[in-house]
Amino acid sequence: MIRTSAPSALYALCVLGAVALLTATPAGNGRKFYDDDPLAREPETENAAGVKPWDIDLFYDLAENLFAHPGDPAPAGRARNVNTIDEVPDSNWFTNRVLARPLSIDELSRGPLTGSGPAPGTWSVVRPKQAGAAPGFTMRDATGELWFVSFDANGFPEAATGAILVANKIFWGLGYWQLENFLVTIRVDQLAIADSAKVRPPSGTERPMKMKDIQDVLKRAHRGADGTYRAIAARAVPGTPLGGFRYYGTRPDDPNDVVPHEHRRELRALKVFGAWTNLTDMKAGNTLDALVTADGRGTVRHYLQDVGSTFGTGANAPHEYDDGFEFLYDGGLTMKRLVTFGFFLQPWQTAAYADVPAIGRFESTVFDPLTWKPRVPTAAFLRARDDDSFWAARRVMAFSDEMIRAAVKTGQYSDPQAAQHLGDMLIARRNKIGRAYLNAINPVVNVTLDETGTLAFENAAVSAGVAAAPGGGYVIQWARYDNNTGATTPIGASTAAATLATPAPAALPSERGAYVKVEIRAVQPPNPSWGAPVTAYFKRTGGWTLVGLERMP
Amino acid sequence: MLRIRVGLVLSSTVFLLVALSGFAAAQDSRAAVIGAEQAEKARTLAPYVPNAAERIMVTLQREVLQDPSGMYPLFASVYSGGGFTLGGGYRRFYGDRTHADVKGLYSIKSYKQVELSTDSWGHANGRLDLHARAGWRDATQVAFHGLSMAAPEDETNFRMKQAYVGGDVTAHPTPWTVAGLGLSFEDFNLESGTGASPSIETAHTPATAPGLGDNPAYLHLAAAGGIDTRASPGYARSGALYGLTYHNYTDRNDTYSFDRLDAEIVQHIPILRENWVVSLHGLVQTTLNDDDTVPYFLLPSLGGGSTLRGFSGWRFRDRTSLLMSGEFRWIPSRLALDMALFYDTGKVTPRLHDLSFKGLASDFGIGIRFHGPLATPLRIDLARSREGMHLVFSGGAAF
Repeated sequence: MIRTSAPSALYALCVLGAVALLTATPAGNGRKFYDDDPLAREPETENAAGVKPWDIDLFYDLAENLFAHPGDPAPAGRARNVNTIDEVPDSNWFTNRVLARPLSIDELSRGPLTGSGPAPGTWSVVRPKQAGAAPGFTMRDATGELWFVSFDANGFPEAATGAILVANKIFWGLGYWQLENFLVTIRVDQLAIADSAKVRPPSGTERPMKMKDIQDVLKRAHRGADGTYRAIAARAVPGTPLGGFRYYGTRPDDPNDVVPHEHRRELRALKVFGAWTNLTDMKAGNTLDALVTADGRGTVRHYLQDVGSTFGTGANAPHEYDDGFEFLYDGGLTMKRLVTFGFFLQPWQTAAYADVPAIGRFESTVFDPLTWKPRVPTAAFLRARDDDSFWAARRVMAFSDEMIRAAVKTGQYSDPQAAQHLGDMLIARRNKIGRAYLNAINPVVNVTLDETGTLAFENAAVSAGVAAAPGGGYVIQWARYDNNTGATTPIGASTAAATLATPAPAALPSERGAYVKVEIRAVQPPNPSWGAPVTAYFKRTGGWTLVGLERMP
Repeated sequence: MLRIRVGLVLSSTVFLLVALSGFAAAQDSRAAVIGAEQAEKARTLAPYVPNAAERIMVTLQREVLQDPSGMYPLFASVYSGGGFTLGGGYRRFYGDRTHADVKGLYSIKSYKQVELSTDSWGHANGRLDLHARAGWRDATQVAFHGLSMAAPEDETNFRMKQAYVGGDVTAHPTPWTVAGLGLSFEDFNLESGTGASPSIETAHTPATAPGLGDNPAYLHLAAAGGIDTRASPGYARSGALYGLTYHNYTDRNDTYSFDRLDAEIVQHIPILRENWVVSLHGLVQTTLNDDDTVPYFLLPSLGGGSTLRGFSGWRFRDRTSLLMSGEFRWIPSRLALDMALFYDTGKVTPRLHDLSFKGLASDFGIGIRFHGPLATPLRIDLARSREGMHLVFSGGAAF
């Protein structure tokens, strides 16, 4: 009897003790905020040195996203990589730049560039371009540094290269890891073939590269009147290239990649950034992971490698008319067009495009940010919620006209009309994005509580000029917040505030470490979504520190 | 035993408590919470393993696109009217863009073909393609209704065996112009048809089927030139073809030598950014010398999936033919699906100057086409004519 029951009883007792010990610990899981909240940088605690390169097949990626709808089947919840104040911490995915800090024109114009372009002298071609549709090749400059070169397609001068240069600066400013793209002019006589260079002709049998192979590439590229070629030279990224990333799931061999990509806010936000810039070609093949090692530890950095299929142009020609308006395949639309003999018309069929060849088909009149679509349904886009889009729209709106014109200037378009048109369209589309997304949700931002007990905040929609100040003002409800239990104790009744600054109740807790919760609603009858509260949490430190912000449950 | 077990449980419990306490301590910060999750994943890391669908797609691409040498399936036609046909081939590259192929086809009507060929692409800076082939085919039951538009609906059939060897060169002097020159030796052997209808010799004589009973062999010269602005002959929503082809058939015995000229126009007119396309096709084939005798199996013809779709294959034959087709196409899916309402009309006549717009045979119908950017792998057309409904399955564009 004893032999059988005593160990079980002891075991149960000890387990119960352990459970009791854990739940009694203040650092238990019931706690809403930790001392290091809000995180400014996403932790990457594990060594990812074992991660291996992979190839995500282009056609499989296309077919899977078009027809299989990959990713988390559960309804999209809050983005899982945001910190407690609803912001995206810096990481190997994203770096807070525009909106998070002042971004000078010079800084934006330089973008990701850290040095100068390829060293002059003989450039040795290593291999033809292996991915993407644009003509190009890989080469080493006179110092042996590796560069990826891509050209404007024949007949479309400045289109692809201009788009790459401008989009490169914009997406860097938005916070994405970008390649260092330099505009170069190439003469055929400065090219040589590296001894190790190999090509795979249509026969499929690899052989040493010949000058004719380079000529075949250049035949597809636009040749200037002086016989030179305008091209982009992209510096090879630091570290070991690992292939692209998918817009869903995680990389199984990267220990630090624990948030499914469809639940990463900066990837969901590409729905808005893509709409702004018409970045329609969102696929794994246009992304790049690289293993970077520092202090003996490896982490995986995630680049938006190719953002050149933007504005109105693709790598080889202007965008199709329906780019940005429809997925490559949409079963519902297909059926509607089939049974109506094609009379189920779509906006792209009547959109007017300016005749600016260097920019392609890029307009702002018919453009609707709410219905914009990339070519292929992207798992992260499909799960973007209003708070993700709001977060993104604020960054788009943070690009001033001057910043946009500065980014466009880096495209070095020879036709001033091209630069003017591109800038005009980006500004107009930016404004549409602001109107669409800043109004879709309670736009209270930048909530602070100072030592004197003054609560201040801003209204992002009003500040951006896309909405009038709420006629009914703001309604504010204060409460004590118990960080361990989640219990709230109202502090007085809700109060109305006509302005963006209002005194807090006198009864705010004074003890260090105490928390208060503030719910702020905007009363704007035409905009009922503003009535849902933005909830801010402050912790008593020396003064009051914002530790939490929730825009949507 | 009891002591051992109690000790084991106690030590396990102490370990558990320490571990759990450590876990609790480790989660005393947000960074630690995330770190614990990453540590947990680090214990279960695995290399990426593609699923079955991805593996199949990758394998197909590797075998078909990246390493095109080797065996391949073949979906093609031996000869018009042969029905569903399957085959296979073996390809071996012996240059960057030069390959030799051996292939065979067999149809449900026992049409068969074997061919040895070599093709070399992209010479002269991509402007010249060279082809050579030798082969043999057997079309066991080719329909013959007689000559002229008055030919009866009831058909006869014949068997045509053809051995051939030849070559051609296709040139694109500019992206929009095309020229071709071909020379081949073609040896025909005509036999009784194996089809359900009567064999040709039971109902026709050389007077109604010129050349009946003979087996001519030809040196066939073809020269072509034109303007072609279509993205591809296999699928296009815009562009045009304006082409002329001259054929010279020199009979080894000079009995059945003749010259023929084909004039063809294809015009695709996109409407509202290719939401609709009006596609027009005109084709005239005419024997140039009225005194020449053209054997019945080489006469211009109408009827079948690429001409008068509401009539059976080879329905009308004579020395000259006129075909006009129009399609109103709408594009439910730019990626893969076109629909079309079509109308075909045409006639055959003994002489070119007999051609007119009177007495035309016509049909109309609806079609569905599964296409890619440059090809139409499957076209299904349902056509109606005075001779009833015809369903067309084809592996190519109508025109």
